[in-house]
Amino acid sequence: MNRQRLFVAAALLVVASMILSACGTAATPTVAPATQPPATAAPATVAPATAAPATVAPVATTPPAASNPDTIIIGTTDKLASLDAADAYATHDWEILRNISDGLVYMKPGTTDLAPDLATDMGKISPDGLTYTYTLRDGIKFGDGTPLTATIYAAQLNRLLTIGPKCPNDVADTLAVPYVKSITAPDDKTIVFQLTTPIAFFPQILAGGPYVATDPKTFKADACNLFPTAPVYGVGAWYISQYNADEQMVLLPNPYYTGPLKPQVKQIIVRFYSDPNTMALAVQSGEVDVAWRILSPDQLTSLKKVSGLTVGAINGGSIRYLVLNHTIKPYDDPNVVKAIASAVDRNAIADTVYAGQVTPLYSMIPPGFLGADESFDTMYSAPNVDQAKKYLEASGYSATNPVKLEMWYPPEHYGASTAAWMQLIKTQLEATGEIQVTLTSQEWSTYVPALTGGKSYGAGVLGWFFDYPDPSNYLDPFVFNRGEGTNVTIPATGSLTGTPINDKAKQLVALLNQADIETDLTKRADLYKQAQNLYADLVVTVPLFFNAEHIVYRSNIKGDANNAQPENLNIGPDILFFYSELSKSK
Amino acid sequence: MSPIAIIALIIGIPSLLLLAYVFARGSTGLRRYILTRIALTLPMIFILATMVFFILRILPGDPVTSALGPKGTPEMIQHIRATLGLNDPLIVQYGRFLWNMVTLRFGNSLVGGHRPIIDEMSERFPATLELIIPASILALLIGVYGGALAASKRKKTLDYSLRVYSVVIYSLPIFWFGLLLQLFFGVRLGWLPISGRIDAIIGTQLKTVTNIYSLDALLSGNWPAFFSVLEHLVLPTITLGLILSGVFLRMTRINVIETMQADFIGAARARGIRERILIYGHALKNAMIPVITLIGLQVAILLAGAVLTETVFSWPGMGSYLVERISARDYTAVQSVITVFAILVALISLAVDVIYSLVDPRVRY
Repeated sequence: MNRQRLFVAAALLVVASMILSACGTAATPTVAPATQPPATAAPATVAPATAAPATVAPVATTPPAASNPDTIIIGTTDKLASLDAADAYATHDWEILRNISDGLVYMKPGTTDLAPDLATDMGKISPDGLTYTYTLRDGIKFGDGTPLTATIYAAQLNRLLTIGPKCPNDVADTLAVPYVKSITAPDDKTIVFQLTTPIAFFPQILAGGPYVATDPKTFKADACNLFPTAPVYGVGAWYISQYNADEQMVLLPNPYYTGPLKPQVKQIIVRFYSDPNTMALAVQSGEVDVAWRILSPDQLTSLKKVSGLTVGAINGGSIRYLVLNHTIKPYDDPNVVKAIASAVDRNAIADTVYAGQVTPLYSMIPPGFLGADESFDTMYSAPNVDQAKKYLEASGYSATNPVKLEMWYPPEHYGASTAAWMQLIKTQLEATGEIQVTLTSQEWSTYVPALTGGKSYGAGVLGWFFDYPDPSNYLDPFVFNRGEGTNVTIPATGSLTGTPINDKAKQLVALLNQADIETDLTKRADLYKQAQNLYADLVVTVPLFFNAEHIVYRSNIKGDANNAQPENLNIGPDILFFYSELSKSK
Repeated sequence: MSPIAIIALIIGIPSLLLLAYVFARGSTGLRRYILTRIALTLPMIFILATMVFFILRILPGDPVTSALGPKGTPEMIQHIRATLGLNDPLIVQYGRFLWNMVTLRFGNSLVGGHRPIIDEMSERFPATLELIIPASILALLIGVYGGALAASKRKKTLDYSLRVYSVVIYSLPIFWFGLLLQLFFGVRLGWLPISGRIDAIIGTQLKTVTNIYSLDALLSGNWPAFFSVLEHLVLPTITLGLILSGVFLRMTRINVIETMQADFIGAARARGIRERILIYGHALKNAMIPVITLIGLQVAILLAGAVLTETVFSWPGMGSYLVERISARDYTAVQSVITVFAILVALISLAVDVIYSLVDPRVRY
């Protein structure tokens, strides 16, 4: 064989082996490039790594990220939109905010249980439910050593009430202005919230990103500062030491931190990915230790097969549902919407399209939340084609006179699989023989106003993720004042709830209003059960399934065994990832 | 001084020197030609920018509703639209856009943090530059020498193999080829990193001035960072470079074959000059002239390839930035990036024409 043939043979061999490797299940790497340890000094507060039971087989080699036990690298496809607590309104923004700063209360890692954080206790509520008073604990300091007083804290929180149009993401208009009348500090230890209306879920709102303590040197009273220059200090366990937009963020331990979530490692690096495929490969190859939000079902299925990786599923609050507009024909007919509720087979969607990675949902309130009750299952036992036919025939529809439905969906926003399960729903509805469905996709930014505006589309699919983990946030937005396009109430100026379209809607509005101010948990849960039954009877929306959020991590990464859900790195239904819960072994 | 200004100086000063040289030494015809080209480039960029502005507004979608989703109330949407100036008459928005272009301020992003576009491009453009320069060099090296090699072994196995290679490599989808390399060299063998511009930990110690990491690492004498950058460049450069090399290879091969049939080659051969010197010393030089023209034409394809390569390798450059912002309907960002790309293509095309006149003294303008 001459040299040229040898060259061709070698080239073919390389190409063939590359194709084979692409087709096969990838293994962990065998050789790792050298890395350099970080130049950061370990603060006195860093605790030794906790030992937790291994959940996966050990990897054979030491890849790049894994080679440094002091640093944990977290990959994400989320983008940062704002670091100003008076503005930020996205899951990932809140994650960073809650890691670099604390609020008066927080949800214990892995749970939705509230506990005091900067406050000494859960606060005092006035008998009329309008005044909440909290006392700050001692020794709270920002990352640069500046003490936090109630006066500073209250002044910073007041930005939520005064900053208005200066902040583009406008979180204040949703989570502060409607509920809070004033925030004052009578002394250096006490903070008082005066509410506009009594609401039982105010502590849940307080645990969110907008209510963390912010540094007055960075976040001025009269200006929104979306991306302050690093270092960015809060009073939380970490501070931002570096931030390269769309590349990576470096967090170091706050040396003055005295709260409950002490850092276990010396450095956290959040690495931003534009493509989930690349992030999946990065956790496989060891470039990142943790891949967190958002990997597709296909990627998760293949990562589950990789030795040395654990895939954790967190039953979070992200749900998918059908919006039905009750003022557009034929969805204004109660029998038609009940027929839809009866014909939809949620299990088929979960099994066929998502290979069991989503869970069927029979109420807008996902399991685990106060008062959650599977009303749609009790009422419709879906799929029940015979029952669906009975509803349709009661309104004069038949096989020769089928009801014609137009349904819409966004092709990409909720993943490419949306088309598959919307097609499945169409098939399920048409299996009644008395429904004809026209399915149309529309680009997201056109789709949303057309559906939620309540005037253009009769039916379509949407997703929801709570602003605060409380049942009210899963029912109120779909009922009150236009209800995200459901139109069970008609917008009324000056009214938070709008005008109900019929007596049942009126009862539902009254029940939800009552539940919103009820502070007795048993009574509140009962009110939500009644509300869910009425909601299912009206078929305000059709809940379909809820998504688990997934986290993928390497075998040397552990969560805190002393807190809930260490197998999911202590991420609970609120989807809040506390980096202090992480430890890393060599 | 911002990184983009530093880069503009790094590229701009040699370009101006070249232009000055050409003006000083070139013919009157050449000088007139360059001035005409510059005069024509300006309306071309203006027309392109105008088209992009109006096409974006005609397309369905809106940056505010896209960002807010179902939680955006009509009041919130109106309020944010007003803040961003999206409620202004189209002609006012167009005027503002043109002014921002002329003053090179580009305005602010309409999504995310609403940051100045110039800041975002300062972070992104150097990354793209760092990728496309080595990719172009690789494409040229493989293309030119592969083409010459194929021509020298005409109708032999190596020639056929290289011709098949040039067709196959050009036909491969970049994202698929990139993924293949990531799986093989990154995951299976573990030899090379698969994403980003620098190792996450080493990157924390790199002091950036130009945002071209390799240059910054050299300037600061940070050798671990320098080698890490090189390591991270390998797979994206191979992906983009190999795919572009196919065209250069075919073009060089044909031109070398044609040149080899010229009389002067026959005369040289008759004088007993060795075949190797004939090909690489005489034919290749003469065959390079059309290849240089092709380089100018390939810049647009190179940038388009960079869009896909950057996405596959999570390379935070202008390409991935463009993809993100198109889906978010970030009008200002998309307009700005496309205008910058257009300026870049126009300038490189002009530079190629100037170089062409220097390389081939027969060319008269």
